[in-house]
Amino acid sequence: MKKILLYITTLTAVMALSGCEGFLTKEPQLQQSTEITLSTYSGLNDATHGAYYYIASSGWYGQSWVVDAEMRSGNGMKSNFANSNRCTQAYNWNYTEDGTSGMWSTAYVTIAMANNVIDNLEGKAVGDVTEQDLNNLKAECLFIRAFAHFCNVLTYGQPYTWCVANDKESLGVPYVYHTDPNGKPARETVISNYENIVADLLEAEKIIDPEYDAQSVRSSLVDPLAAVNISTIQALLSRVYLYMGEWQNAADYATKVIESGKYEMWTAEEYPTVWGKELGSGEIIFEVYGKRTNSAYASWEDMSYLTSPEGSGDPQAAQPLIDLYAEGDVRLDTYRTDANEESGILWTAKYPGKGDNAAPDCNNIVIFRLSEMYLNRAEAIMRGATVADATAVSDLNVITSNRGVAPYTSVGPVDIQNERRKELAWEGHYLYDLARWNMPVERAEADYPLLTMNHNVPFPSTKWALPLPKSELDVNPNLVQNPK
Amino acid sequence: MFALLVASLGIATAQTITVTGRVVAEKDGQPIPGAYVLVNGTTIGTVTNDLGEFGIKSVPADAKEIIVTFLGMTTASAPVQAEPLTIVMHEDATYLDDVVVVAYGTVRREAATGSVTSVKNEQLANVPATSVDKMLAGKMAGVTITSGSGQPGSTSTIRVRGISSINAGNEPLWVVDGIPVMAGDFRQLSNAGVGGGSSSTFLNPNDIESITVLKDAAAASVYGSRAANGVILVTTKSGKAGKARFTARAKYGVQQLINDKNWRPLTGSELIDYRRVAAINAGHDPYDPTDQYYTPETLLANGTTNWYEELTKLGALQEYEINATGGTNKASYYASAAYHSNDGVFYGIGYDRFSARVNSDFQLLKSLKSGARFNLSYSNSDSGQMGDLYYSNPQYAMFSILPWTPFKNEDGSFNVNIPENSDTNPAADAHYDTYNDKDYRLQGSIYLEWKPIKQLTFKTTNALEFVYVDSKQYWSAETNKGTATLFKYWSKDLRYTTSNTITYDDKFGLHSVRVLAGQEAMVDTYDYLGGYSPNVNPLIPFPNTSTPEADEVAYSLSDESMVSFFGVADYNYDNKYYFQGSVRADGSSLFGSANRWGVFWSVGGSWNITKENWMAPTRDWLSLAKIRASYGVNGNNNIAAYRAYGIYSTMTYGSYVGMVPSRPENPNLSWEKNRTVNVGIDLGFFDDRLTASVDWYNRKTEDMLLSKRVPYTTGFGSNFVNIGSIRNRGVELQLEGLIFNTPDFQWTAGFNIAFNRSKVLDLADSEYLSVSDSRAGAQNSGTPVRIVKDKSLYTFYLRDWYGVNPSNGDPLWYDEEGNLTSDVSKARYIYKGSPEPKATGGFNTSLTWKGLTLSAFFEFVYGNNVFMASQFDLDGYDMTGNTTTYSLGYWEKPGDTGVHPKPVAGNPKRPYSNSTRYLQDGSYMRIKDVTLSYSLPENVLKAIKMQGIRVYVSALNPYTFHNVKGVMDPELGPLGYSMGASHTMVKSLVGGIEVSF
Repeated sequence: MKKILLYITTLTAVMALSGCEGFLTKEPQLQQSTEITLSTYSGLNDATHGAYYYIASSGWYGQSWVVDAEMRSGNGMKSNFANSNRCTQAYNWNYTEDGTSGMWSTAYVTIAMANNVIDNLEGKAVGDVTEQDLNNLKAECLFIRAFAHFCNVLTYGQPYTWCVANDKESLGVPYVYHTDPNGKPARETVISNYENIVADLLEAEKIIDPEYDAQSVRSSLVDPLAAVNISTIQALLSRVYLYMGEWQNAADYATKVIESGKYEMWTAEEYPTVWGKELGSGEIIFEVYGKRTNSAYASWEDMSYLTSPEGSGDPQAAQPLIDLYAEGDVRLDTYRTDANEESGILWTAKYPGKGDNAAPDCNNIVIFRLSEMYLNRAEAIMRGATVADATAVSDLNVITSNRGVAPYTSVGPVDIQNERRKELAWEGHYLYDLARWNMPVERAEADYPLLTMNHNVPFPSTKWALPLPKSELDVNPNLVQNPK
Repeated sequence: MFALLVASLGIATAQTITVTGRVVAEKDGQPIPGAYVLVNGTTIGTVTNDLGEFGIKSVPADAKEIIVTFLGMTTASAPVQAEPLTIVMHEDATYLDDVVVVAYGTVRREAATGSVTSVKNEQLANVPATSVDKMLAGKMAGVTITSGSGQPGSTSTIRVRGISSINAGNEPLWVVDGIPVMAGDFRQLSNAGVGGGSSSTFLNPNDIESITVLKDAAAASVYGSRAANGVILVTTKSGKAGKARFTARAKYGVQQLINDKNWRPLTGSELIDYRRVAAINAGHDPYDPTDQYYTPETLLANGTTNWYEELTKLGALQEYEINATGGTNKASYYASAAYHSNDGVFYGIGYDRFSARVNSDFQLLKSLKSGARFNLSYSNSDSGQMGDLYYSNPQYAMFSILPWTPFKNEDGSFNVNIPENSDTNPAADAHYDTYNDKDYRLQGSIYLEWKPIKQLTFKTTNALEFVYVDSKQYWSAETNKGTATLFKYWSKDLRYTTSNTITYDDKFGLHSVRVLAGQEAMVDTYDYLGGYSPNVNPLIPFPNTSTPEADEVAYSLSDESMVSFFGVADYNYDNKYYFQGSVRADGSSLFGSANRWGVFWSVGGSWNITKENWMAPTRDWLSLAKIRASYGVNGNNNIAAYRAYGIYSTMTYGSYVGMVPSRPENPNLSWEKNRTVNVGIDLGFFDDRLTASVDWYNRKTEDMLLSKRVPYTTGFGSNFVNIGSIRNRGVELQLEGLIFNTPDFQWTAGFNIAFNRSKVLDLADSEYLSVSDSRAGAQNSGTPVRIVKDKSLYTFYLRDWYGVNPSNGDPLWYDEEGNLTSDVSKARYIYKGSPEPKATGGFNTSLTWKGLTLSAFFEFVYGNNVFMASQFDLDGYDMTGNTTTYSLGYWEKPGDTGVHPKPVAGNPKRPYSNSTRYLQDGSYMRIKDVTLSYSLPENVLKAIKMQGIRVYVSALNPYTFHNVKGVMDPELGPLGYSMGASHTMVKSLVGGIEVSF
């Protein structure tokens, strides 16, 4: 009897155990496992689209990348109009390893999304899917990877121009080509970071179909300018080369975008009206598409809500910026005061909201536009680049002629500085321009009330490379903190 | 074989006679069907028929004695004789206490090696609570049951020996009639499902025969990966052979909110005085009509409203039930139907439940038995907007609406012009809006038991549990500025379980052995569909009248499977030495492919010292002395499905739905492991008139699931991994005494107390973890508790409050340097106090004189801290709403101490900020139940041909002793603080009658 029992038990156990693995495997059905998502072209296409998530989020171009740069550069100042206590950290440059920029996490999560696609494209050209289809996705992801690393090294590294001249070993960020769940990568030099960024972008430019438009593979995509095409890649190359001081390349890539013929300067009449439109047009090369239906919609952290007095209104425009504009400059129309016109405060009007809701919310946010390309090229030419049929003066006057101000007759560094500042204000440029020009931030106490520290940030200074988050150093012993 | 041969030889050669007779019970003279009648010293015997009669032919003439045995009766005997016998059987007084239900079977209580506590139906049924979990509160040492809410139909939080986990669940496993049942509450709107164990809410308490709580590893480990939080075994009533016996019960009661310290909103004149002081302290003139804080006496001109009274009423509780039991020795049944209705204390809140049960057992063949257990229930919960800090929550609004705001308009309609409460009148919402859940539930199981030989039992039990919940939330046009909004949700959960065991049970001389081997499998699928229709036609408030573009649909689906193999071996020698071992292998879909199977085990032993011969001299007073010890490892699998998978989730950007990684893969994800040592001693004195049990345990949770920080360069900031450790250690004492026991007068008393100390041993790389609280909702401003390494599981983390500056009434805190500061931003934070009680327990006593019984039951919690920051008492900061009596007693003149800071309108010093100011001693003692009942004597019953009539009146939660200020009731749950929004506990006065015939 006992033998029979033992036999039955053993048999049942063996049968059950061998059949169990299937019974005990329950795959998630409403979400996709990573493995399945990345196993088909369609899944990879969706995952590529997903990689744009953080660009549009309030932690990056959706808000804080732009607003923090303005608050740090002296273009912006803290308003006490409806004070919600936002923006004070950036305004004061009050960064510590326990409270620093959030770019680090945003960048690497985005980079992982891009890497997941790049590393899984091989062999997916089956059926109607061509190698070119795969290359287009790869180019998008290479762009996103390069862009994330670029913003990350701008945040945590010293400016490239300073590193090249003074400290070639100065540390940037880890450049992650393959996301490893157990990886603890060390920081590489700023110079190496820029080399890798350029390499990724050149590769993307090479493999992308010049006619590629993400709408062709994502048919319901509303805004084609919120996705990467060849001009987006070239526009970023122009900016990266400009930041590196590689003037000829910066000028050449600006020329490629300008001569693509896809973009048109906004006229002086148009200029005050182009902000808050549903879809970008004219100058827009690449933008964040703002909408409540976006998963990244940030509610009270939304760009429009933050920058409007009807919202939290914490960041206002500083007087030294306003004072730069000449009378009649249409760009003054991109500033506004409160609805009752009582406060005397000016806020940027580049993010008025699309009017979808009563409260100001949802706006497209410019990442690249044609004016920047002319400004890039003007500066590059001024520094020695040569472009057929273009001069620094002619390029700057493309801007002035469309802004209702007098043309330049000659161009020097201060002209470039002021014109960039005026044209690209509240789009997140001036801080990084100051950095690459190796210039200080100078904020007189009278002009910047509510500023409690760091009125003047000299250059050079350790402050230009923000502290890495301590929580990252704690879990990755290979990281080294920036000098205080 | 030889003996059998000898016996048959004897039959063949000797002379025989026939013995006939009848077996009856001593208690009521009723026949006992199914009793075994055996000729002593032979294998000749039979079983009594329905009338209790038996006849045995071929009884050897030299046989001396007939022996009769029946479960629950002491063995009876009679001489062998030719004349018909009447054999009277006596009830075995020790029988009920002696057998306890344990995992996969029953054992004699003295055989238990682990820590097991059980409660019999008689102890449960006397408490007229509304559900099983509430009845157990305070009854068992080490089992802490808290009701986070007094809302009708709410479930309780049950913790066995403390809290063992941070991210996996802490609810014990409920096993009903051998089948583990679902834990979740699927009601979408009730806000009442604060704990798990929702299945228990749908059981009729009177259907329960016994409840056993398996507390330590030895007792529970055979439930493997689900045993870490203890196991609650519920056994429902089986049919009793005999003619049909009916019991009918009815009860009715009234309820009101517990508020034994009379905490209330201020009256109109109190508020005017308070506001004037606050305004003056802020430099304003409350008598100046142009001042912002002008507070004239004329506010009271149109009369005032007591919102506490307007928004509450006397709740009503009623319950009707009938059950029947009967059968033959071949087939028996127990059937019941019950209706329970509870009309809440707040308007628009109520709970109705209808439940029906059929339990049946059939002796198909001599060796084959089968049976079924079916429970059907339907419940209907009307929840109002309880639980959240919404303006429509009356629990919140009754404290914040101003006393001079009228409740109704002159035309009798509800006033909804209430700016201080966002123009929301909770009574109007209760009248026009709907928050309703209908829960339909089936629990059914069928078993087949085969006993080919006496020692061997094969048993298979197959069960299905099905829950369907239909929920509706409706915001009416009347209360929502003309727009009617509808939310509909449907959720269902279906679970199949099969449980198959082989038991071998035998005795060789003084050696007793039981070996059990078993297998189980379970599949569970849950899905949920919700529809949101933002603008429906109020006359046709259904999704079809809403604009399709605006409609939204939500859907969720999760499934889970599990396979288990297990074995238990028991051995005892001469009922003196007991050993038990168990092992279980569980495979679960919840865990990673590399860790899908876990093995759990336990060993235990006990020594019944009183059975030793050398203890004979003391047996007259020391009737039981037993030492127990056990050790075991079990697991906690209480996590959501699919946590092991790397996941891409959908993400919409520019109207295209893309995919983003939402969770990293973790193929190593595994169970939390609990290692428990338990040492106990059981003592009985004076023939067990007084019994005592003491247990010491040490329970260590390892491989605790925590979210571990990982470098973002991996693509994620954290991963859910098995790391971390907690320890719970404690002592429990349970005493039961039968102090007087005469035919006319009995007095019993019981007492239990438990001391549990938790300690966080390892939090991976973190020094502390924040605690999230689902109750916090949108108002989440962080919880005041943290989980801190080397401290008890929860520790309050608050600004260090000094007190009020006696010279000017300003608040004072300690700053980082230990100096006093009145600047809240400079106040230092400290760890202080824990919501973990130093001791919990209860005591009960019952006095019976003839048919009259008075019983009382108390529950206590001692030495815990609670954090109570009232939402309404902001030291004058808020001049828009009402405040409460908590705010009175503030600083008025220099020298005042032990007072609240002076109220200041708009209070810039923010003395109300979370600080140790609000930390209070949360100890309380609650009178849970006082019941007076009367059972009619037997001579009266006989005259009216009834089996029993009992009438009773009970006061539930009549009074609670405590010193917690700013709350209505101090029972605040494991986190030790209230959001001020949960339905306060209620007290009831209930009367009822029970009739059996």
